[in-house]
Amino acid sequence: MDRSEYYERMKLLARETRARFGITSPRVLRSDLRRIYGAEGIRITLWPHKLHKLRGAYVHDDLGSEVLLAKSLPEDPTVFTMAHELKHHYVDAGLSLSYCDLSNESNPIEIAAEIFAAELIYPEQDFARDLHQMGILGSTCTAEVLVRLKHDTRTTLSYAGLAKRAEFMGFAPPSSLAAIRWKKLEEQIYGEPIYKTILRRRRGSR
Amino acid sequence: MAKTPSMRDHVARRIRELRTNYGKTGFSQEALANMIEVVPNTVSRWETGTYEPTLDDLDRLARALGVSILDFFPKSDTESPKEKKVEALLRTARGLHDNDLEELRLWAEYRRARQVYKRGRKR
Repeated sequence: MDRSEYYERMKLLARETRARFGITSPRVLRSDLRRIYGAEGIRITLWPHKLHKLRGAYVHDDLGSEVLLAKSLPEDPTVFTMAHELKHHYVDAGLSLSYCDLSNESNPIEIAAEIFAAELIYPEQDFARDLHQMGILGSTCTAEVLVRLKHDTRTTLSYAGLAKRAEFMGFAPPSSLAAIRWKKLEEQIYGEPIYKTILRRRRGSR
Repeated sequence: MAKTPSMRDHVARRIRELRTNYGKTGFSQEALANMIEVVPNTVSRWETGTYEPTLDDLDRLARALGVSILDFFPKSDTESPKEKKVEALLRTARGLHDNDLEELRLWAEYRRARQVYKRGRKR
């Protein structure tokens, strides 16, 4: 099996997993992943201690299948990491230990886990359909379009994930979505999020 | 379900031993309590077996005392040929940052300790 075939299989596995667990939207939550983990018998340890670059790890041994998750991660990266580690459970359990950090991101096993996770959260086909519905054809997708897409679909796939996919699928020219300050752009389009307004007011009243 | 007295007593005794033997002079209960952010009474009650520390409590105690979480349990329960397997698989993660590798090792010990603690509960 060559790499592209391997990656396509991972996408198929992700879509099958979505179907099996009744996931139909691109807004996949921690609770959805917890439900899948429960059904698959995977234990989760939320690790409260400081980790340098490690976001998650999967181990399968005589004590069972278990995932370590950095407790400090926000919702979207937590969901992505849980989806990433789920691929290791389905496909790489024989390797005993898999971990997710920046040192091994070019490893095909890890790339496949990233592809699986992205597809589990927001299948490529749905992504393409949603962009078409927004009138995006050819390489006309901009950063603003992706901000609107994320806002409208409330997907938990990160901006980095959406941008990588838009470029890969030819909706945007290569590297056109690199180095975008996504949160800033989001605020320019939709205004300051309410939590920031409250924080600012609290600081101002001190 | 309560732990059998033997496991509870063993853990209680080990907390006291590891605290009093720390460095040259040991820690007071109060100093240790401050380090792990509990009230001194709690440490005292762990040491008398009145309170049962959770695994997370033991993890914090182990880090404060600079020992393995497995040091709180009977040696016979924690010695396992599987430990070599843990070491072997952690060697495969050598590309990791030192801190992350250490945390993975502590996680492996935490998992083993959880099994021992659970087994002690069933006895």
